[in-house]
Amino acid sequence: MATANTNRRRAIILLTISSLFLITLDLQNSTAASGLRSVFGIFFRPVEGLTRVFTRPIGNAWFGITNYNDVLDENSFLRQQIAQQEGATVAAAASVRLSQELLALNGLPTLAGINAVTAQVIGESPTNYSQTIEINQGNESGIRVGMPVLNAAGLIGKITKVFENRSSIMLITDPDFSISIKVVSAGRSATATTISKGTSATTSTAVPLEVSPLLPDSETTTTTTTTTPIAGFTATVTTLPSTPQGVTSITVPKASDLAVRETGALEGQGPSRQPTVRFVDNSVRFGDIEVGVPIVTAGGSRSLAPPDIMIGNVSRVIERLGSAGPLLEIRLVADLSNLSFLRILLYQPITEKK
Amino acid sequence: MASRWLRLVLVLFFVLALQTTLFAQLRPFGVAGQVLLLFTACAGVTYGVSVGTITGLVAGLMYDFTLATPIGIGSLTLGVVGATAGVYLYFFPNPIWWLRIFAIACASALGEVYYPIALAMVGLDGWIQFRLLKIIAVVVVINILFAPVMLIVSRWTLSERKRTN
Repeated sequence: MATANTNRRRAIILLTISSLFLITLDLQNSTAASGLRSVFGIFFRPVEGLTRVFTRPIGNAWFGITNYNDVLDENSFLRQQIAQQEGATVAAAASVRLSQELLALNGLPTLAGINAVTAQVIGESPTNYSQTIEINQGNESGIRVGMPVLNAAGLIGKITKVFENRSSIMLITDPDFSISIKVVSAGRSATATTISKGTSATTSTAVPLEVSPLLPDSETTTTTTTTTPIAGFTATVTTLPSTPQGVTSITVPKASDLAVRETGALEGQGPSRQPTVRFVDNSVRFGDIEVGVPIVTAGGSRSLAPPDIMIGNVSRVIERLGSAGPLLEIRLVADLSNLSFLRILLYQPITEKK
Repeated sequence: MASRWLRLVLVLFFVLALQTTLFAQLRPFGVAGQVLLLFTACAGVTYGVSVGTITGLVAGLMYDFTLATPIGIGSLTLGVVGATAGVYLYFFPNPIWWLRIFAIACASALGEVYYPIALAMVGLDGWIQFRLLKIIAVVVVINILFAPVMLIVSRWTLSERKRTN
């Protein structure tokens, strides 16, 4: 009995030390830890597959009992929605195509230029403290850690673990998920007056507040035209007709329609809360952020995803004191509770390359 | 004769498979039942601290290999759950059935608290929220419902059988 107790104590100490050692290894992203996972998977997957055969009917029966009425309601709602959207889809597809052509024409990166792999969701996280799902594509399909994952609506997460023919995806709601985003706002408009010297007509043009057009002081006798570029926008040059008295005027592009962008960091907050965006600058030019403003990925060499992937829209703006800037709550466009087929963009950020 | 520990590993394979398939799929109120936690608590209340701890450490380690969280977190958490459940035998050496179920429920609730705390200790914070109360409530109810079956399974798995010549 005493020997058995000693052996058990030894086993407990050994297992505890092993656990601590493995935590350290895994937190350092050691390949040994992923190797151990793969080896375990070789033995466990067949058992899991066999169990799935027996448990699937039980799961189906459960969903049949608990979700039957919801499915019927959802089905009729979706039929109605499909009918409404069929026409809009054609127009939207044409716009997207046009937009991609324009981006390509200007040498700007588009999602159309990035290869993608389609995968099916085969499992959810068995724990309540991890927002991950598993898909049926892995290393063999070219998937690597860090690649962004989308569904038909928008970004849903990123690849965190890759095996031979399956991968784990961390969902956008996981508290460990973070990505740089752009808040696309209509911007704040203000009326700027074109100063004219003389008696000629005065024109008013809407420009963002932060931009102060250069206004010449000196009096000129001829018509002058100056174009002020705003955020990469090339304005069309308008020449005002000369007047006998001599007019000094500045042509400012009509910038009220320009989309103003501000970047921030989106962070998951768990399944029961909406993701939030921090580090949004409180710039005057950007203006007040309104509810419903779209949120897209920022892109850039260090971002986890290429630019302009739809994430969601602002559902709530929480103002904060000081220079912290507002905190934005985001309503995701993708429904994470009902994921089936996903698209993995074969885009690996520099930060994830080894 | 197969050792109880070899039997434990083999049975845990199937319990883990149940966890990653059926219990990951059926989520009453959005919460997944934790059958490995239940198994560990059952082992603890039946065989005491040391067997409960070893069962928890082994079960948690196997669970960790299927999760995206760092390997070892689940092992330590379930190890502590097994020990916690085993402490109960010190107070009630010959417990009646409902006290056993009550101890399993308490160990399950504590297990669901230990896990996010362990995650926070390695820097994976953000899981200690009000939702935790819902998780605890659902997991405790599920574990109470399945405890009678799992007590039989754990007793059979970890029983020391006499060698016959």
